[in-house]
Amino acid sequence: MNCMQQNPATRRYLIRFVSTIAAYAVALLFAEWCIHRLHPTGALLYGLATLPAVPIIGVIVVVGLYLAEEKDEFQRNLLIQSMLWGLGAILSLTSVWGFLQLYAHVHPFQPYMTFPLFWCFQGIATAALRWRYR
Amino acid sequence: MGCMTKNPAVRRFIFRTLAASSAYIVLTISIALTFYKFRPHGPLATVLAVLPAVAILGNIIAIGLYLIEDKDEVQRSVMVELLLWGLGGVLVFTSAWGLLETFTHIRHFNPTYTYTVFWIFVGIGVPFLQRKYR
Repeated sequence: MNCMQQNPATRRYLIRFVSTIAAYAVALLFAEWCIHRLHPTGALLYGLATLPAVPIIGVIVVVGLYLAEEKDEFQRNLLIQSMLWGLGAILSLTSVWGFLQLYAHVHPFQPYMTFPLFWCFQGIATAALRWRYR
Repeated sequence: MGCMTKNPAVRRFIFRTLAASSAYIVLTISIALTFYKFRPHGPLATVLAVLPAVAILGNIIAIGLYLIEDKDEVQRSVMVELLLWGLGGVLVFTSAWGLLETFTHIRHFNPTYTYTVFWIFVGIGVPFLQRKYR
């Protein structure tokens, strides 16, 4: 953690990442409260429903900024590799689940779970890669 | 295309992708017909349902192998950038759709489409990267 804080790009990344995730949580709670209390309809309902997706765009931008700003080649490659592992895992999971849903009638997969599950896989991949390169 | 086929890693990637995609088409059609005609259930239904997803896993492995095998740094980083564009697009899309599904009850997004949506976003990223690297 100390080592991470010494790197300005990583420090900025962590601050931005935590801020956007916090914004996501706030937007989600706000949208849920408004929809359940005020019962909006039409464009307002669609706007409120997609409001929490805006911080998700923010997370993508934060990752892009980190990749552009990070001078340490190894750290950048580590994030890219872990994201590619996360991508492979999430595409595999959704493909398998989708076909099971179609033919074996398993519980429907909620599409908004793709985002948190991707980060879970990415986290596992980061740990595995750090262990490999230790 | 002539230039692409000179690179053995790209040639292998194209060959593997075509093989996996053909397997996917054949498996999807034959599994759909099997379920329509014989209506299997239990563990057999689960195994049969997963088969088309195995071809998708083959496709994902083909991409991973290409990233390992290609010696051309530029080609590899273009592919990585494209994959990251696709990843960003698919995460935002599935999150927004999931939120709309939860709050506005739009049609359920079958997770098998995640893979297709991912490649659509990769395709959208191609002209931008072509402009960047021309």
